[in-house]
Amino acid sequence: MVIDLDKCTGCQSCSVACKAENNVPSGSPEEHTRRLTPFWQKVIAVSSGEYPSVSIDLIPMPCMHCDDAPCVTVCPARATYKREDGIVMQDFRRCIGCKYCIVACPYGARSFNYKEQEEMPYHRPDLPPERADRGPWPFPRRVHGVVEKCTFCFHRIDAAIEEGKKVGEEVVPACAEACPAHAIAFGDLDDPDGNVAQLLSSRQATRLREEMGTSPKVYYLLR
Amino acid sequence: MTGSFITLEGRSRGYRNAVIALGALALAGLVAFIISYVAGHQTFGSSNTVPWGLPIVLAIYLIGLSAGSLILSSLTYVFGREEYRPIARLAVFLAVVLIFGAMLAILVDLGRPEKFWRLFMFFYMNNMRSMFAINGILYGGYFVISLVYLGIIFAGKAAAARITGIIAAAWAILVHLGTGAIFGFIAAREAWFSALRPLEFLAAALTSGVALLIVAVVATFTLTKREVKNDMIASLGRLLAAFIIVLLVLVFIDKLTHLYAPARDAVIYMLAGPSSWIFWVFQIGLGAVVPLVILFNRKLNKTVRWLMLAAAAVVVGVFFERYYLVIPGAAYPQAYAPGHIEGVWGATGSFALTPIEIILAVGIVAALGLFYLLGLKYLELTPALPPETKDDGETDP
Repeated sequence: MVIDLDKCTGCQSCSVACKAENNVPSGSPEEHTRRLTPFWQKVIAVSSGEYPSVSIDLIPMPCMHCDDAPCVTVCPARATYKREDGIVMQDFRRCIGCKYCIVACPYGARSFNYKEQEEMPYHRPDLPPERADRGPWPFPRRVHGVVEKCTFCFHRIDAAIEEGKKVGEEVVPACAEACPAHAIAFGDLDDPDGNVAQLLSSRQATRLREEMGTSPKVYYLLR
Repeated sequence: MTGSFITLEGRSRGYRNAVIALGALALAGLVAFIISYVAGHQTFGSSNTVPWGLPIVLAIYLIGLSAGSLILSSLTYVFGREEYRPIARLAVFLAVVLIFGAMLAILVDLGRPEKFWRLFMFFYMNNMRSMFAINGILYGGYFVISLVYLGIIFAGKAAAARITGIIAAAWAILVHLGTGAIFGFIAAREAWFSALRPLEFLAAALTSGVALLIVAVVATFTLTKREVKNDMIASLGRLLAAFIIVLLVLVFIDKLTHLYAPARDAVIYMLAGPSSWIFWVFQIGLGAVVPLVILFNRKLNKTVRWLMLAAAAVVVGVFFERYYLVIPGAAYPQAYAPGHIEGVWGATGSFALTPIEIILAVGIVAALGLFYLLGLKYLELTPALPPETKDDGETDP
């Protein structure tokens, strides 16, 4: 995934689209202030400089799907694992809720389900019937007491590969699809002719907290 | 074997009242656990910034107490220090009770406690690179080894007790190094990340273990009208002073290393941040300064009453050391990107202890006190009384 910070306006469309797509529970403002509400995708505002000369960076932060993910290392129950294609997954059935991964993640990408999810605010006929804590995504509900995180909308990717559609052009994760400024591009980083590689070669790119050595797979094109 | 051990009669009013009170508190803890299980961890003060709360503080604290008191028992059974023999059984029994409590505390902090067995499916369903899975082996093995150790001591086999004593003490050291590694190996949390953390935990374990042993022994012996040997407590006090100094040195080096390097914001937050009073008042004041003043005062360090006070201060101080590491330590915000992160994502985590988790923690401690009292009644832990003295009830140490 490549995110163009020059195009991002901080409109939070990606956060909202992610919540809708993955049925991530929403919470009250008080819960958000206490940091109880799960977020798979957040947009942080980073300011630098003093008053007359201030610059603000708006940085959308999904899970970075690190190549060497600390959460995978610390999970005692193998609930977090890396798929063949590099997506870091979370299996609710295995998760025991020890929260060690939340502690270990350098990007704050993981959220704990602090309470039982409320009734679904919308109807999703395309998803299989409720099976609360069974198996990985896509399942519309999960029980409280498990950790969850962004999956790069793997259900979309898997379906696209099955149907023979092109991932990254025809099918993208919900956040990329919803972005009105087309700031988020998704594709295969290993494909030298792919859209993502072309974007990366066009401008200077960086990754967050590279000093952690986690090799995140989300790149940011600098402003 | 010098001296024999007997059980308490446990018929006195004081004993019965203590059992009833502790039982009620433990029951309240159970209710609190059921509430937290049904309603989810929103009933705790923890959040996505401070994921671990009071139960984990309690867990690592109890592990420390347990490992400390087990290592001490080896003084008698391995090194043959006869002067500690009257309290050695008590020390091993305390270790068993406390490690059980620690595992209980971890269990109640799991989001899905019914899946706790997954922690013990070593190599099969566990990711053995996880410090938690490794500690699963350490804690589980420790529990089994200390039970076996206790059994061998009861059977009165000196040679076997010596060998298991060595294994148990070595294992106890591993347990504490492992517990420290849970925190020290996490690079994402600046306030935790340190190679010294396992050693600091070990020193804290020994310190609090001796201190709790002094408190438990003095309380039990006084309340059952046994003679508390001044010499024994005083020599334990000297041991305590040595451990406190080691712990202080480790804490000092750890903070200094992080203060010396230019990336010193996290340690400045720990030393002078909004909740640093916990560090200065409890961890340094109560956990080190007060006991050291008592222990190095030539008059005070001979009297059991003052030594007990010093030990109690350490027991409280080390608890807050753990508290300060787990809760305010995790609250230090992570720097996702260079610059100042605005709003809730860059704010220092808030943590308000909720009644539910306090009741839960008190309930676990009460349950351990209950086990301790029942152990005194049904196991031969306390040294036999000189004839014609009648034993009386006692309360929770």
